[in-house]
Amino acid sequence: MKDIMIIFRREFNAYFYSPIAYVFSVIFILLNCGLYMFHFFFFGNADMREFFSTLPIVLALIFIPAISMRLWSEEKKLGTIQLLLTLPMKVEHVVLGKYFASVAFYLIALAGTLTIPIVLMFLGHPDFGPIFGGYFGSILLGAFFLAVGIFISAFFDDQIVSLIITSLACGFLALIGWRYVPMVIDGWLPGLGEFLYSYVGVSRHLNDIERGVIDLKSIIYFLSFTGLFLTLNIKYLDGRKY
Amino acid sequence: MIELKNLSKHYGSFAALDDVSCLIKKGEIIGFVGPNGAGKTTAMKIITTFTAPTSGTAIIGGHDVLEDPHEVRKMIGYLPETVPLYSDMLVSEYLQFIGEARHLNGTLSKRLDWVIEACGLENVMKKKIGILSKGYKQRTCLAQALIHDPDVLILDEPTSGLDPHQIIGIRKLIRELAHDKTIIFSTHILSEVATISDRILVINKGKLVADGTFDQLQARLADRRTIALSVKASKKEFDSKIKAIKDIDEIQSTESAGRGVISCQLFYNPSKDILPELNQVIRDAGWDILELHPEKMSLEASFIMLTEGGSDHVEGGIA
Repeated sequence: MKDIMIIFRREFNAYFYSPIAYVFSVIFILLNCGLYMFHFFFFGNADMREFFSTLPIVLALIFIPAISMRLWSEEKKLGTIQLLLTLPMKVEHVVLGKYFASVAFYLIALAGTLTIPIVLMFLGHPDFGPIFGGYFGSILLGAFFLAVGIFISAFFDDQIVSLIITSLACGFLALIGWRYVPMVIDGWLPGLGEFLYSYVGVSRHLNDIERGVIDLKSIIYFLSFTGLFLTLNIKYLDGRKY
Repeated sequence: MIELKNLSKHYGSFAALDDVSCLIKKGEIIGFVGPNGAGKTTAMKIITTFTAPTSGTAIIGGHDVLEDPHEVRKMIGYLPETVPLYSDMLVSEYLQFIGEARHLNGTLSKRLDWVIEACGLENVMKKKIGILSKGYKQRTCLAQALIHDPDVLILDEPTSGLDPHQIIGIRKLIRELAHDKTIIFSTHILSEVATISDRILVINKGKLVADGTFDQLQARLADRRTIALSVKASKKEFDSKIKAIKDIDEIQSTESAGRGVISCQLFYNPSKDILPELNQVIRDAGWDILELHPEKMSLEASFIMLTEGGSDHVEGGIA
């Protein structure tokens, strides 16, 4: 546990050594709030449904890969992976320390969007159930995507490659939850699209949570996939076959 | 202290290490020599548990790198060739982080003071690692390897990129540390191996080609003599006539240096005398001799001979 903290501290601080942290948080907040505000002024509803419906795609395509790309790719490029993996620490502690640091950074950026519910509170009477559910779902979703991201970044020593592959992987997971994408896949291979939609796709589970229906099944979906990718990451690094 | 047991590492069909075995006693300073790509770094990566061997294993202080890597890691200080540093961190932050990660809770500040002095880092503690010179980076990384006072030190090219003053400093430090530590270091600078190591391991194409003290190695190589020869001749004629002399083991660096001058080194066994036959050949051909003298084997030449001409003639080593 102490080892996780030591790695976490270094890793979390590392986000703020370079300007990238500030740049990305500002872009993240501007983009999400901007996209939402456009809709908000158009329809004038005191809810955040639109915000949470665009969030998965923004997270999947840009923001999560940008946070996760450096986790292992940078270590490989600098060679510090040799240092890190020859410390008297368990690989799982190193992986978890790094992972939690990325999650913490994500949570800070997400907290920056809390201005929206605060504004809504002053302007109208929003239903806080779905808003709470939406944030809860976004946390689970971000945690899941970051696990995918840290897993992918262990394979490449180029951060840009990690970014692109993670973006594709998370984008795929987000898109197969949109009704028409599985329909297209079903057209090629009947049954596959439906299967992907209901078991692998993110949106179905996310929609439940965002409606305020916090279903154990959906939580298990996110947690088990997160756990799966973290375990794969640990196994890959522990294999020491490179 | 360190035992390599039939260590092999294959990357696809390429054998980076091929059945290397040796035993290193506690307190020895081992110089690890070989051309680039010979397998030095791979062996070090295996000893430090970073890479797993394809077959065989290494035992460090009684702990197997495959079965008990955690214990091995505690005992080892490792300076990788790539000098892994987080360029955005301050030197002090970096060493603090490594110290914490190595679980030096009570003794950390004392150990920090020691490594800072030993590695001469007083003036750069509050600087970003990214802006340091190569020498300071190397020393920061060495400090990282020493901070937990390890029993075993693995130093991959510790003096590369340093200026002569710093090289002398590092060599002195290695000598001082050797009292209670087992040290393996690799290098390209052969005089360095001669001055600081107790024992030299020469590795080539993944195989251990020689193992012994510097004197043993020299004695072993003394059973080859070299004659340096320069003559005015046509290359084709020269090649065919010289190759016809049976007792010459090897002809090296034969080159046509303008105006039809050929210079070469001829290697032969001291039990045989090639001079009469060589003289005869030169006289018969009517070549003008520009240079003909026996050469003393330099350390560099011995190294080249051990590692370049294939390992067949030194197979078996001295051990």
